[in-house]
Formats: sequence, structure tokens, C-alpha cells
Amino acid sequence: MNKIVTVNHLSKTLGDIRVIDNVSFDIEKGEFVAIQGPSGSGKTTLLGLLAGLEKADEGSVVIGGEDIISMTEDQLALFRRSNVGFVFQSFNLIPTLNVLENIGLPLFPEPIQRKVILERAKKAAMDVGLGERLKHYPGQLSGGEQQRVAVARSLINNPKVIFADEPTGNLDSKTGEKIVELLRTLNREKGQTFVLVTHDDKIASESDRIVRLVDGRIVNDH
Amino acid sequence: MIVIGLVACMVMTLNFLGAAYKEASRLPFQDIQGTIIVQKNGNVPETISGVLMSCSLAPIHQDVIGKIGKIEGVNGVSSALSLWVFDIDHFKRVLGVDWQDGYGKSLSSRVIDGSIPKSDGEVLVEKTYAGKNGLNTGAIATISGKQYTISGVVGTAANEVVASDFYLNLQTAQDMAYQSKNLQAVESVDNTDVNIIFINAGQQDLTAITQRVKQTLSGPDTNAGQTPLGQTIGNYNIYTPATFEDQISTVMRLSDKLIWVISLVLFIGACLIIARNTLHIILERRREFGILKAVGFRSRDIQKVISIEAAIQALAGFAVGLLLTALAVFLLAKTTVSIAIPWELSPYPHFLLANPDDANVVQTHFLPIKFEPVYALVIFLAVLLIGLIISLLSTWQISKLKPVEILRNE
Repeated sequence: MNKIVTVNHLSKTLGDIRVIDNVSFDIEKGEFVAIQGPSGSGKTTLLGLLAGLEKADEGSVVIGGEDIISMTEDQLALFRRSNVGFVFQSFNLIPTLNVLENIGLPLFPEPIQRKVILERAKKAAMDVGLGERLKHYPGQLSGGEQQRVAVARSLINNPKVIFADEPTGNLDSKTGEKIVELLRTLNREKGQTFVLVTHDDKIASESDRIVRLVDGRIVNDH
Repeated sequence: MIVIGLVACMVMTLNFLGAAYKEASRLPFQDIQGTIIVQKNGNVPETISGVLMSCSLAPIHQDVIGKIGKIEGVNGVSSALSLWVFDIDHFKRVLGVDWQDGYGKSLSSRVIDGSIPKSDGEVLVEKTYAGKNGLNTGAIATISGKQYTISGVVGTAANEVVASDFYLNLQTAQDMAYQSKNLQAVESVDNTDVNIIFINAGQQDLTAITQRVKQTLSGPDTNAGQTPLGQTIGNYNIYTPATFEDQISTVMRLSDKLIWVISLVLFIGACLIIARNTLHIILERRREFGILKAVGFRSRDIQKVISIEAAIQALAGFAVGLLLTALAVFLLAKTTVSIAIPWELSPYPHFLLANPDDANVVQTHFLPIKFEPVYALVIFLAVLLIGLIISLLSTWQISKLKPVEILRNE
């Protein structure tokens, strides 16, 4: 298998607290990795560092052969647009855009015709089972449907890896299970690499691998 | 958008109003082919009978007309001789006209029946006067004991500048004045003299030309006359559109510079309001911008979005402003302005009237307000500038946003 993410001696300090402390690990292409740990253990910060949403103080993060640590804000934005998908706990959809537009959002700055973007968005929407809701707005969708839109949005740019921060945290257990099932299906059928942060042991148990963090350090990786 | 619309409307309307009142001050001059009128105050005759200069005006000699004609910027000079004829049976206003000069040609174009006098025995009659006195083309009118054939009817208004009952050849009027003993008793009248000069000058050069006319007329002959509205130089009265400006409206007292200052204040005020609103909107849309950054939008990509939104807002605001201004112009065009014509310019002997105030002539015109595309273009550019300010302000704010901080705090 190929390494898609390589993390070396990654550290991040917020104020006086060393949130991530000398973390190193690799993620293989097509892996489904869960990051677990108690509150304040640095899970979300680590995910932000991996996705290029946060800047590390030390160490390196290499995704698809590119070290993102030394990148500028604009370079990181371009990198995220082309290489990374992100699924948030609170969905983070734009309320004034419909399903298709929300899904196609990462491609709008690209020199691609709007029609082509929306066609790709439609395909992504079909992949996550939202074929009947294309023109709906986030306010007209259930929580599960909104998270499916977020998943489809993370897929639209064919990312090397999708990072998901508590993707079921705002959903009831049944809906959450369906979302995890969706992510797992995308992982198995398309070989999509997923790294997700979760409190839910059941979700973690379905992962290929669990990375356990405590006080910013990896205490278990199996 | 509403702020832009309202400010655009206010600035455009204010400028259109300023231009309209300036235009209104020129309305008394619209039919005389002149923008400056010069008269000279004379002596009051002891006997009010026979042929006299209207309003006790003094004769102006040909050399004065020649001097004025040589003033730089003067496009043409017309002249006329306004007389009061106190016949035993009837008072008449008579104007001697040179049909070849600008004023004469303008008057010729307003003949509604017949033609201008072709001989010294013919006279043109004003339509209202003709109606009141049953005079038609071909009829005979007696003026100062001499019979004239009415060659035509002219459609002048009773309240216009230099209104008269009869219009005849200038030389005929000059001979009439020259032969008047009552007039010669108070003024030394030559048979080539006139008492009204119409100077045709460009609107843009009017102030400078008026100054040159004043300099030309301010000689040793300084028998100062008085006039309620005209500017007095020696014993000459000079009337220009500025003569009427102050009486039209207090808005007229706003100079062009003041209108620009008010416009600038409104523009700056609008910019400040828009800047505050923009910052507020960016604060409200922090999460949205955080999401955009998280999914791969650079600051400049978001700036593009904001710029398009700002442009749409600015254009929509400008469109609202245009509509409001068009409505304001439509409504203001229904209003009227009243312009009191100085007695000397529309002379009628008030002592002949039961109510002397009836001799005061007031012109009422619809406000000549117009939608000026040039102003609209300037405002459009200003609105685009506001859009640019919104865009730059947004960019500055957005560049400071960190997506992870926004999404963490939301």
C-alpha cells in the first residue's frame, strides 16, 4: 500500500498548552482511520493540522508527497481545494445555496463551467443518496441529509484524503450509523481514504485502525 | 443598496434642481435672442402725453451699441426702441424693431397671422391686444395720430420681457420718438437712438462678458439710476439671468461649489454607512467565509465573490437611485417657479391702472428640471467607487479570518 499521509514529529502549542506533542504516524491510501481520545486530547487540532486548516509549530505533514507545513495561507487553500475533503460535525453548509451548489462549492473558484460543476455535484449527490433533494436548501433537509451533502461536497474534488470531525456528533444514533455506513461504503467501493475523529467506540470499531490520543500524544495506534 | 439608492437620488436630484433653477433664471430671456439686456435710466417727463420713452428710459446712442458689439465674447447685439404712446383715446405700447437683427428675427418667427411690417405704414399687433380691441390683419390702427395697416398678428405673451401692443419698423419708431416734443423736452433724442440693447453671449462666458459690458458702460456718464432688480452701472441697468436667480428660490442661492460640497458630504456619509454595514455583514457572515476558506477558497476567491455581490448591490442601488430620481424629476417638473419681471423690462404705466400693482409682471414657468445623463454617469462612477470601497474593505477583513478559528468558535 502507498502512504498517503505522513506525519513526523508534529507539535502545536496553543497558549501555554502543548495541544499536539511530537506526533508521528502514517496513513496508507484507502485506509479508514479513526482518531479517538478524551475531550481536550487534541483530536480536532490534529485533524486541523492534517487538513492544513491549522499551522503546526514543529514537524511535518506530507500529503500525497507534498509537505503542507511550509505552505502559505493561499497555497494551503489551493492544496485543500485539490487534495483534501472535510466533513464537519455541524455540517457547515451555506444556507443560501441549494444542495447542488453546496456540493459544488469547492469547485466554484476553479475555471470550470458552472454547468460542468453542477453535473459533477449531481453525480456526487447520487453517490450519497440525495438524488431527490438536489434543489433543496439546507434548511429544508434533515440533519442526516445535511451531513450527506457535506460528504458529497468533500468528494467533489476527488480528494486524496477526507477528514471528518465527529461526523455523527450532531445526529441521532440511527442516522449516525447510516452516515458511517456511507463513509465506509465510499471507502470500500472507491478506495477513498478517511481520517475521522470520533467519540463513538462503535464507529471506531468499524475502522481499519484507531489512533488514540491523550494530552496531544499518541498512546495507542492499532 | 437602499443607502446607495437614496444617496444617488439625493445627489442627482440636488444637482438637477441646481441646474433647473439656473435654467429657470434664463427663461425670461428665452424669446429675445439675448442673455444680457442693457437699458439706460432717463428723466421723468413733466407732461405725460404723446410719445414718450417707456419707463422714462433714456435714449442709447449708436456709438454705445458699436462699443458693445466689439466686446470679446459678444456673439451679436440687437436693439429696440420701446415707446409709450399716450393718445387721447387710448394708451398704446409700441416697440420699434430691427427685423434683421436677432431679436427681430425671433419676433418674426412668432408671427401667427400675416407678416412683419414691410413698409413704414404697417404695424404688427400683439394677439391679446388684438383680441381685446378687435384688430385683425388688414385693419387700421391709429398710433400718435397716424394710421397704420396691421400687417399681422404676433403671438407674444403679455407678461414676457419687453412686451408691447404694437411692433413696427425700428426707423418708424425712431422717427416717432424724434418728432415727439414732449420727449425731446426731457431727453436729447436722435432719430437713430434706441433704448433697449439685447446682447447675445454664450452662457459659459456670461459673467466675464457682463463684467466687460460694465467696464465699457462705466464712463464719465454716471448719473446713477435705481432699479429694484437690475444691476446699475452709472445710469445703465444691466439684466442677466443672475438678476432673477435670487428671487426664484433659496435653493438657487446654492452655488455650484456648495452643491458639490453637499454632494461630497452625502457621498462620504454613504461611504461611512456602507463601511459600517459591510463590517457588520462580514461579522455576520464569518462562518460562511470560514467554510469557503476551509473548502479551498483563497482570500482573493472570496474577494471575487464579495466584489460581484458589491457590484450587484451598487448597480441595484444605482438603479433604485435612477428610479427615485426619475420620479423626483417627474414630480418636480410639475411644480412652478414665479419670476417677477422688472418693471422696466415689461413696461406699463401703472398710473393708468386702477390697481397699480397690476403693472407688476410675474412670469410663471414649470420648473425646467431635466434628467441629465452626464450627472447620472458621474453618480454611476461614484457608485462604482462605493462598490470598490466595499470590496477593498471586505478583502481587508476577510484576509484576517482564520477558518479553523471561525469554525471552532461557531
